[in-house]
Amino acid sequence: MIILQCLQHISGERTIYSILHLLNGKKSAQTIQDAHLFKLTNVFSTYPLLTRSYLDEIISSLCKQEYLAPISEQSFLVTQKGIKAIEAYFSRHPIPNHLNGWQFHKTTKLFWERLSLVVQVISQLRNQESKYLPIHKKRELQKWLKFFLREAHLSRDELGDRLYDELVKCLEAHPNVNPDIFVKRLTGFRQIGLTEGQAAEQLCMEKDEYHLQFLGILHYMLEICEMKQSEYPLLNLLIADRRSFVPLTETSRKTLSLLNNGYSLEKISTIRKLKRSTIEDHVVEIALNMPSFDISPFINDEKQKVISNAIKTATSKQLKYIRELVPNADYFEIRLVLAKAGEKK
Amino acid sequence: MNLEIQLEKYFAYTSFRPGQKEIITSLLEGNHTIAMLPTGTGKSLCYQLPGYLLEGQVIIISPLLSLMQDQVEQLMMNGEKRVIAFNSFLTADEKNHALLQLHHYKFIFLSPEMLRSKSVIDGLKKLHISLFVIDEAHCISQWGYDFRPEYLKLGESRDKLGKPLTLALTATATKEVKNELIASLHLDHWNEFIYSVDRPNISLVVETVESYQEKSERIVELVKRLEGPGIIYFSSKKLTEWMSAYLREHGMTRVMAYHGGMEQENRVLIQQQFLHGQLDLICATSAFGMGINKEDIRFVIHFHMPLQLESYLQEIGRAGRDGKKSVAILLYSPGDEQLPYQIAEAELPSEVQVNAVYQYLEMNHHMTTNLASFEIDIRRISGLTETQWRIIRDYLVDQKELLLKVQFQKLTLFINERLQVKKRKISEMHLWICSQIQQCRRKKILKYFDEDMTIEVENCCDQCGIDLTVFDLKISKHQVANSSYNWKQQLANILLVSERSDEK
Repeated sequence: MIILQCLQHISGERTIYSILHLLNGKKSAQTIQDAHLFKLTNVFSTYPLLTRSYLDEIISSLCKQEYLAPISEQSFLVTQKGIKAIEAYFSRHPIPNHLNGWQFHKTTKLFWERLSLVVQVISQLRNQESKYLPIHKKRELQKWLKFFLREAHLSRDELGDRLYDELVKCLEAHPNVNPDIFVKRLTGFRQIGLTEGQAAEQLCMEKDEYHLQFLGILHYMLEICEMKQSEYPLLNLLIADRRSFVPLTETSRKTLSLLNNGYSLEKISTIRKLKRSTIEDHVVEIALNMPSFDISPFINDEKQKVISNAIKTATSKQLKYIRELVPNADYFEIRLVLAKAGEKK
Repeated sequence: MNLEIQLEKYFAYTSFRPGQKEIITSLLEGNHTIAMLPTGTGKSLCYQLPGYLLEGQVIIISPLLSLMQDQVEQLMMNGEKRVIAFNSFLTADEKNHALLQLHHYKFIFLSPEMLRSKSVIDGLKKLHISLFVIDEAHCISQWGYDFRPEYLKLGESRDKLGKPLTLALTATATKEVKNELIASLHLDHWNEFIYSVDRPNISLVVETVESYQEKSERIVELVKRLEGPGIIYFSSKKLTEWMSAYLREHGMTRVMAYHGGMEQENRVLIQQQFLHGQLDLICATSAFGMGINKEDIRFVIHFHMPLQLESYLQEIGRAGRDGKKSVAILLYSPGDEQLPYQIAEAELPSEVQVNAVYQYLEMNHHMTTNLASFEIDIRRISGLTETQWRIIRDYLVDQKELLLKVQFQKLTLFINERLQVKKRKISEMHLWICSQIQQCRRKKILKYFDEDMTIEVENCCDQCGIDLTVFDLKISKHQVANSSYNWKQQLANILLVSERSDEK
């Protein structure tokens, strides 16, 4: 269903595989721009394990149900029947409000691994049982755990009490959040948490729906942590080393810092030994993610206006249609304006 | 020295299991020792305790990554931090760093191929090695299903390290295998402790059914009536999931699948749920069970036949570790033996694949000097699975000085030979299942391992006659109501209340 909805958003203007990249969280300029343009940033990177062949299976089953109609080999339009199905489904199973794949895709998994490990360790400590199997075995996590226990400056009992308070407060703060979805997954002393599939089954949800709900809660927690840092010191400590305010790829970040030092695009391209078009991709990515980023050094105000008007009149968001309306603008300029337009909603 | 006191001090056990004390004493007296202990009777203690009592480092050679990982975790769980595993998971940096710190460790696990590395051997030479352990020592045998060519070099490596005190451990080995072991390790005097592979508290049953469908139905019947907990083994990952879903549809809620293709986090959770009694039944591939110390497993069912009697013994050996009566049931339907043959063939590279690799390497001669770093390319052009690739790589590494063409001729011979051995193993297993001759199943297994059956076993096997009702549920299963679930209470249980105080 979520795939059908994504296809509705892109309304045949991209291939189905752009959805795959989006759900997988591929960090290409094209995918990032698509996510913003089609307002699908919330589901970015929410199904990193979705495979091409599984997507093909889903698509063919959706076609069989007549929810989709092909318009070319790899593009499909959602049918009237499909739209009704989407409405019916999502009115009963809404996508969690707090889902924000784009903003949190880098921290979600880490946050969960660390939080669930900390909960387990505290539970074991409080029960004075040092013989147990940690649910996460990665060495970095074990190393990090030592850091956490040191930085928290609390006794084991206090740690448990405070973490309990923070979690309860956080989970109760919002009426739309169902804490069961989260708490059933936690492991403690002599009680092992459920897997994703088991939790979904107990809560009578489909696995994919549960998955989004669960991510929604994690994103909600991350959001609330960020907004109210002082109220959730322990939860914040979980991601203290990973906080970056603007989600950018490493390579775009480098380009941004060169831009801030006053280098031109050509100059950056030579310094970084990258193609001009790659640097342009970076600039578009930055424009998408930094509301404060000024695009006027790359395109004058007048041209911006012309392009925005063209975007409004164009029936499709495919670049080539827009370009037909403003032949004197290049793709880079159109993408920049699109990036800004998408952000203003 | 009172070994019982030491046992309690280091492991909090009050008594030894059969064989452990004798083996440990032999080692402490300075004798090279060969020990065959059946699965599930605490082999690792035989090197762990001496490790604590002797000065210096214990080197453990272990062929299976997952097994090694399990043993490392067990030691760590027991509070031992001076443990390290050298295997392909380690990055070069980590490896070099660990090599400089070697003397800080007590237990050093190594995969056999690590012993080929000069830097590793040089590092080990600087240590005082108190004990050199070869785990799964039967892998040294060319007649075994699990033959590892690298194991043949163990004697050489051992010599380089100055012939330290040696312990060879295995669960199952025929006389033939034992002799090969002694020869390749260059042992001239040794003690041996051979314990029967028999587990008299496990009844052996083979049931023949007509079809796949009937098999599934029979499984439902069996798991409904048998006293749990239990494990059902499959040769296919997909079927483990299918069957656990099928059983849940039939009203059994506490069933889950387990296989190597699952995400790590889920694997740990399922394993731990089973250990803590939150699940009664696991539908698993053979990946499940290693390193799981659950004492009270009451039954093991085989949906598919294992590829050799040794694996069968190992898998059923996970039942009844507490010594209480347990049952192993193998379900056979005609034609089942096809699957193991297919699996055996798929484990080895095919002729076409070997040829493709050969042609490719002839054209890219520079790759032969460092095969491992061209893994991706070589596997892509030949479509080798990881297991298949490893066989080719390991074989070629040993033959470097020969012409490429000769290397590949020998490789082809080697692969054919391996296939023959595997096929022979499968036909032995098949014969054990389907033999027309009415004879005690236990006796036949023991004969295979050159043992004579000495004790009479009640409810021995289907050939001797068996009463399955003995293994039926004593009290009917009560369904735990989930309706009272309260997340805040659950969170409090985990983070706040000390449950231990309630138990006292």
